[in-house]
Amino acid sequence: MSLIAKIAWRNIVRHKGKSIIIGVILFLGAFLMTIGNGVISGMNQGLKKNIVNSFTGDIVLVSEKQESDNVFLEFMGKAVEPINNYIDIREVLKTQDYIDKYIPVGKNMVMVLNEEGGMPGMTYVIGADMVRYNEIFPNTMIPVEGKLSDGISKSVIIPTGARKEMFDYSGIWFKPENETLDTANLPKEDGLDLSSIIVKDSVVFMGFNNDNTTSDIRLGIRGIVKYKALNTILGHFALMDIESYRTTLGYFSAENKTAPLSAEEKTLFSLENDGLDNLFSENGDEIADVEKTAVSENTDKFPASVELPRQTDVDAGVYNLVLIKLKNSDNLEKTVIKLNAVFKEKKLDVRAITWSKAMGTVGSMAKLIKGALFTFVMFLFFVAIIIIVNTLSMAAIERTTEIGMMRAVGARKGFIRLMFFGETGILSFVFGGIGIITGAIVIKIIGMLHFTTDNDMVQLLYGGDTFYPLLMAPDIILAIIQLALVTLIAVLYPIKVAGSITPLDAISRD
Amino acid sequence: MKIIEIKGLTKDYPLGTTTVHALRGIDLSIEKGQLLSIIGPSGSGKTTLLNVIGCIDSATKGSVSVAGKEITSMNDCQVTDLRLHHIGFIFQTFNLIPVLNTLENVEFPLLLMKKYSKTECRKKAEKFIDEVGLREHIRHRPAELSGGQRQRVAIARALVTNPDIILADEPTANLDSVTGAQILDLMKEINEKEKTTFIFSTHDLNVLKYAKDIVKIKDGLIEEASAS
Repeated sequence: MSLIAKIAWRNIVRHKGKSIIIGVILFLGAFLMTIGNGVISGMNQGLKKNIVNSFTGDIVLVSEKQESDNVFLEFMGKAVEPINNYIDIREVLKTQDYIDKYIPVGKNMVMVLNEEGGMPGMTYVIGADMVRYNEIFPNTMIPVEGKLSDGISKSVIIPTGARKEMFDYSGIWFKPENETLDTANLPKEDGLDLSSIIVKDSVVFMGFNNDNTTSDIRLGIRGIVKYKALNTILGHFALMDIESYRTTLGYFSAENKTAPLSAEEKTLFSLENDGLDNLFSENGDEIADVEKTAVSENTDKFPASVELPRQTDVDAGVYNLVLIKLKNSDNLEKTVIKLNAVFKEKKLDVRAITWSKAMGTVGSMAKLIKGALFTFVMFLFFVAIIIIVNTLSMAAIERTTEIGMMRAVGARKGFIRLMFFGETGILSFVFGGIGIITGAIVIKIIGMLHFTTDNDMVQLLYGGDTFYPLLMAPDIILAIIQLALVTLIAVLYPIKVAGSITPLDAISRD
Repeated sequence: MKIIEIKGLTKDYPLGTTTVHALRGIDLSIEKGQLLSIIGPSGSGKTTLLNVIGCIDSATKGSVSVAGKEITSMNDCQVTDLRLHHIGFIFQTFNLIPVLNTLENVEFPLLLMKKYSKTECRKKAEKFIDEVGLREHIRHRPAELSGGQRQRVAIARALVTNPDIILADEPTANLDSVTGAQILDLMKEINEKEKTTFIFSTHDLNVLKYAKDIVKIKDGLIEEASAS
């Protein structure tokens, strides 16, 4: 082995030109692969931190009836199907030891009514128990104006992106209640007459669903907020308490359950189909009869006084999604399959999807950018392999006499192959190693420079507002494996060429 | 004792649409300890014959036995091992490993044999370097040696494994007459001392006086075989 290493090393030194060419390619390949791995890793960490940990969780549960997996960002698509059995789902989630936290939320698109008579706007809304929401997604937003949600008051918090969208639609500029207008935050567009802007501190939302039933609700604005990262993507969702959300979307709320009903309302709720038909009968006597019987039989089913909704009552209501954070999200796809099998077994009519599917185009774009970076790294691989294969094959052919003579005096093919492999291996170790170390240093320097961007696409690449490529032990191991793979693939053909050289080739060459 | 036995050896080379018949049916027996010269004009087939004996080239037909082993049916590993253990080569163009010095070049086949320790390999190599008179150049690489010195290194390398046969294809072709004579003297001396079989090809009639036996080859056939 030492003989092979000695010959290999001396050949590297002897053929300096070729060694430097291969070395530089290996250096550049290892350097760029390390940078690429660092960017991908940084992007993964950034997306995980800024989307998974701040907005979606690792897994999103949707109703089995939900057609599209793109439940967060499907613009003007069908309403997200309701989940009516959260309590049963909750009991199943409690038993899954790989789940860390979860929260049910409502999510849909609503109209923003223009009380001035203009065009209504549209915005996405998320309704949740804001206390639990803040526990699961803590420190994700900062108030630009007003305050963050306290989790108690019925109000809405509007991210800057949603406010801008609503302004673009309706010309109304929203500000928090009891706050003076912060003119510094007003849109700075050419030709915009600031004196003509209508400013409001409450917003009227009107929900709509697949059945076109609508109801509206006025909510005071508690705060205008900004997501700490990816605000241009996540800042499209206005956040409100779940009960207001349900009222907006026309879902049965916990308050509905506890509110007092008049005798007439109780009668109507208790009517079976036949009784309802009677309401539309031309015979007025029948209505009177129905009232008598229905009221006497069903009044005890409804509470007589107002009660604050309990958590159980809230959970019993309608949601659209359940956001789940895992203890370990390394095998996300496998966990999704596992969870879906449990739901199927329990016949719960929900399915689990990954956060990237739930985020639709954003998730796809993230995957696409990751894929593009990976392809770029693979392309580098390919180019490096082609050049190294070519250079080494030429070197093998040029050394026919030397190799043939070695074979003549008793060196087996294996010896020649190992010698060639040794030469490439040493070059790969030295130059590739320097490339990886340089890449790691450059990544560290880039991280320290804090490059920031407001551009959506670049934010996806960065995994947040700041470009922070990250190189961890697995990335360095990956770079080493990639380098080893390049070396191995690149040397296969040249060692085949070298191994096929016979002593007769050497003599013929002479 | 017969060290080489050749029966009905033919060697054909396809050349485009035609076939070159390099050897047309050679029968030859070589005894151990012979100093045999194969002579003949260029293209007569002497190099081809040496190549087949040295397991560098394969026979088209016939049988070739080297050191008691039939080589025509051997695979690549077997013929490589046969070359390593039983045959030494001295090439016309010296063919040393350029990145190894004199000592390392001579050590090379010993290290391939994996039979001796590093120290033993070194001692043996030094012994043969002394025999060829290159002690002063032991650390020199081939590029730092003259043609004659390189050929001496090649001889030391061929001898170091104590082979049964040393094949030398025109060993003096690239040397001046004085150096060539020194090399041939050395080969003769080793032949007499070690009883190693030497077979060398040449078309230089001045070389013939060193040979104890001569095989004259022409057009792929043995024309004449004589003992001096």
